Amino acid sequence: MSWQIVRALIAKDFKLYFRNRFIALITVLGLVAYIAIYFVMPQTVDETLELAVYAPVLPPILEQAGSQGLELVLMESEEQLKEAVVGGEYLAGVVVPPDFMDKLMSGEKGQLDVYFGADTPEELQDSITVLLEELAYLQTGQMLSVRVSPEVLGRDMVGIQIPMRDRLLPMLAVIILMMEMLGLASLISSEVVGRTVQALLITPMTIRGLFAAKLIMGVSLAFVQVMLFMAVTGGLSQQPLIIILALLLGAIMVTGIGFLVASGSKEMTTVIAWGMPAMIILSVPAFGVLAPGTVSDWVKAVPSYYLVDAVYQAANFNAGWSDIWDNLLILLGFDIFLVWLGITVLGRKFR
Amino acid sequence: MAGDAIIAEELTYWYGELVAVDHVTFNVAEGEILGFLGPNGAGKTTAIKMLTGQLRPKAGKATLLGMDVARNVDKVQGDMGVCFEDTNLYEQMSAIENLRLFARLFGIGRFDADALLRRVGLGGREKDRVETYSKGMKQRLMVARSMVNRPRVLFLDEPTAGLDPTSAESIRNIILEERARGATVFLTTHDMMEADKLSDRVAFMDQGKIVALDTPHNLKQQYGKRALKAKISTESGELEDREITLDTPETPNAIQRLFAEENVITVHSEEATLEDIFIDITGRGLIE
Repeated sequence: MSWQIVRALIAKDFKLYFRNRFIALITVLGLVAYIAIYFVMPQTVDETLELAVYAPVLPPILEQAGSQGLELVLMESEEQLKEAVVGGEYLAGVVVPPDFMDKLMSGEKGQLDVYFGADTPEELQDSITVLLEELAYLQTGQMLSVRVSPEVLGRDMVGIQIPMRDRLLPMLAVIILMMEMLGLASLISSEVVGRTVQALLITPMTIRGLFAAKLIMGVSLAFVQVMLFMAVTGGLSQQPLIIILALLLGAIMVTGIGFLVASGSKEMTTVIAWGMPAMIILSVPAFGVLAPGTVSDWVKAVPSYYLVDAVYQAANFNAGWSDIWDNLLILLGFDIFLVWLGITVLGRKFR
Repeated sequence: MAGDAIIAEELTYWYGELVAVDHVTFNVAEGEILGFLGPNGAGKTTAIKMLTGQLRPKAGKATLLGMDVARNVDKVQGDMGVCFEDTNLYEQMSAIENLRLFARLFGIGRFDADALLRRVGLGGREKDRVETYSKGMKQRLMVARSMVNRPRVLFLDEPTAGLDPTSAESIRNIILEERARGATVFLTTHDMMEADKLSDRVAFMDQGKIVALDTPHNLKQQYGKRALKAKISTESGELEDREITLDTPETPNAIQRLFAEENVITVHSEEATLEDIFIDITGRGLIE
């Protein structure tokens, strides 16, 4: 395999890529749009006081809570309450035992179990706790008649709650990578349909050289754009090396998928027809970050999960190599498999 | 005496049950133009693909410039040029960019693309995108691309198909120039006149086999029937045609009778065409 030939092919591919007005336009506009979306998203967390309550008998102290600015939503079971809090529907949930009022009336100390979502701000947790204690005081006329037992469900996010724009960051990064997958697939399929690849293959260029060029071109296009996006949005402020490596592996992953999409496509329409389902599937793990609890464990079978998780953890929680190495390793495994599969399937079409 | 540039020995290829090329054997000498003729589906393209290393033969062997094509694809391809039947140029690139790309793929450092483009009549349009070219211009660029590496063996698949007479003639002249340079030319065409005019020898391919291979002259001698065609004027003043088959024992007497008994207005000889010979051999035409 001659690197002079590979360089010539890469230069040719870049030339053709940016001479395709449609692809060039969506590449530039897409990048600008994703950066704009990031900055348009709220920088702070919206903290509406909405409480989930499970109470076989609703005590008067909670009935009064409505007048104190809390919005109560009654749950049918304690499990349902916990799921709703974990899923991010409510900032906190209060479980009132059936004998709560009896204990208060008999002078015993009652107990309320309060569940907080993982990213419920600490100040809010304190406020809700104090509010419940105050309501109990109004009810019984005694301080400390109620013991509030707080418990954080999921990872404790107190003090490190993530604004929506930063939750969105991995998703936008994946979408940028995927858009380049479509561009690459379109470029390759046009070579196959136009039979220019046939002309290339009767020169001293080898099929290995051809794939090396396509791989380098695809990875470069995707990687450079996603790096630009991360740099502009400040996504590299924490653990830059880990994020750069994860995104590089992500770029390789989408290039492999791009080969697969190209092998089943004849022109831009079929590229989109094959590419969109792939984009949707690969975007699913990012929804798990946007709305925790909305996706189950099967999402770990999607290669992009490991990319999204690595970028999310590193960019938002300063997770280090020891926390993320397994994600990167699995992503590398997916990369090798997808690139091999893509080259095998597409290679047949070239011959 | 020049050696063989191309040797096909029992070359065979099949797609499932269909045998596309069936134990084909022939050779092409260095500096020779071989016309490779046959109807669509005869196996010409599959044969070319094996000779150029695009397909590995299922059986038999293709040798190009002394090298087994299947084993030395990379080396062999450096010495050959291929002009495909269908246009496959990078249309968003200019003619000069197309040629420079292929020059780099062939590892040619210094390459005068302008001179080659002028030679095929594309001087002045070299910087225009190929998508703005006419079919004839694209075809000329295809021929130019196949000559970027000054190949010792040139495969031309229908290089003049669908072209206007001027473009076709300019390409025929280029083919003759290449032969004069010493290149071997493997020419596939449907144009019998073209094959007759350009080829040193022609091969007829039908249903995966070579059914005839010789010089056009020998084929005409062997298979064709020469004839004398005359127009005579009858007593009533009407014109009628007369035909006398040549090269038969009765020919001299027939000619004598014609001139003695008829009022001959015009007379000319007629030779069998390659098309006639192909029909004679295979029982069907070249274009089906």
